Amino acid sequence: MKISFILLAAFGISIGLQAQEFDKNLASARTAYTSGNLEDARFAMQQMLNDIDIIVGREMIKLLPAKMDAMAAVTKNDNVTANTGLAGVIVHRDYGTGDKTALIDIMSNSPLVGSINAILSLPFVGNSGDGTQKVVKVQGYKGMLQKNVNTETNQTDFTLQIPLSSTLLTFTVNNSNEADVLRLANTIPVNQIVKLVQ
Amino acid sequence: MKCKILLVGVAALALAFSTNAQGLMGKLKQKAEQAAEKALEKKAKEKAGVPENEQSSTGDGNSNPGNSGNNSPSNKTGGGLVTAPPDVKENLGEAETAFKANSYGEARYAVQQAMLGVEMEIGNKVLKSLPETVSGLPFDKSADQVTSTGWGWAGLTIQREYQKDDKQLRTMIANNAAWMSAVNMYLSNGGYAQTTGGEQNWKQTKVKGHRAVIEFNESSGYKLSVPLGQTSLIVWEAVNFATEQEVMTAANAFDIDGIIKTLGEK
Repeated sequence: MKISFILLAAFGISIGLQAQEFDKNLASARTAYTSGNLEDARFAMQQMLNDIDIIVGREMIKLLPAKMDAMAAVTKNDNVTANTGLAGVIVHRDYGTGDKTALIDIMSNSPLVGSINAILSLPFVGNSGDGTQKVVKVQGYKGMLQKNVNTETNQTDFTLQIPLSSTLLTFTVNNSNEADVLRLANTIPVNQIVKLVQ
Repeated sequence: MKCKILLVGVAALALAFSTNAQGLMGKLKQKAEQAAEKALEKKAKEKAGVPENEQSSTGDGNSNPGNSGNNSPSNKTGGGLVTAPPDVKENLGEAETAFKANSYGEARYAVQQAMLGVEMEIGNKVLKSLPETVSGLPFDKSADQVTSTGWGWAGLTIQREYQKDDKQLRTMIANNAAWMSAVNMYLSNGGYAQTTGGEQNWKQTKVKGHRAVIEFNESSGYKLSVPLGQTSLIVWEAVNFATEQEVMTAANAFDIDGIIKTLGEK
């Protein structure tokens, strides 16, 4: 509990510092643009995008559940990556350390969103005949659930991809079953994540 | 995790090759919808036992005016779309307001629009600096194009064409890291392959002191690529140029150092 509080406080302070960076880069962008220095203006704006992405990423991490069933979040692996050049921010969290693990990846401005939305709109394609892929709903949002059976260990792993506007949420659970995966997916505050990226 | 990012990056870079303007995402969505409709129609026909080449009674999305019973009018008017680039100062203001209101999605969008505006201005500045005549070929004003996909750094392209009769020089300047890695792959080779008894179809060369790669293909002509700094590239495609030297002479008509400076490269 104490550690969670300290981590939250640390995130809060870093978000405040990032906001200051945004203001600084905004001022640089305006000055550069007004003086006709277009390349410096563009660079400053790129930095502004990074600042926004990092803040959004850190806010998202705060929203994610601290544990899923017996799997606690491995907070030392929490990762917020901006400045990917193509996508926006990538947020990553691991759960569990034993046989049963899970992870959440959230990528804003993901280029895969369009193709997944296309699959979700085709029930004949979204639901495969062999049961390895199906369209499901999580808190009202359609998602693509894929099942992968490891023939050596006989474990079943699941990957759930939910496109949220231009953001892609990927939830992977190893060694589980469909009912548990959907139940755990429903602990992710999807609506709040959508509000953050809208 | 790194593999996932790489795979996503490769998929995204494949998309970034398009030089479509701001309608890129709309066109992708349209294509996906068309593919979805076609697949759905095919499946529905299979279930109903309708042969595939038989036209469905509802018709398809792009209706043919000749079809009997089709009363949809074809478009004959409209002024097109306003193509003025986004207002940079206005969008920076909107970004500031949205950011203060913790509306980060809106702030991001506004910053991207501002960047789009700046990139279009940079592109137009570069375009104006290009020569109007190269090796006796005048430029075609109607083919001048500045495109930005708005995806951050990737995707600013500037195009100009020069043509006289069937001789053409197409010039493209791109701020596109993916193309850079392909060209740099050639340039980082210590030597180059030579086929005995065959024809050399690419080689390293220099344009005004800048390392370059020149290629030749009988069906498409010459292609000369010069990396500009870290993330930009200029490519000339020369159609019906008689010799390699003619292409090199044409390329030397361009102020490469000036273009590097305008793009902010080193």
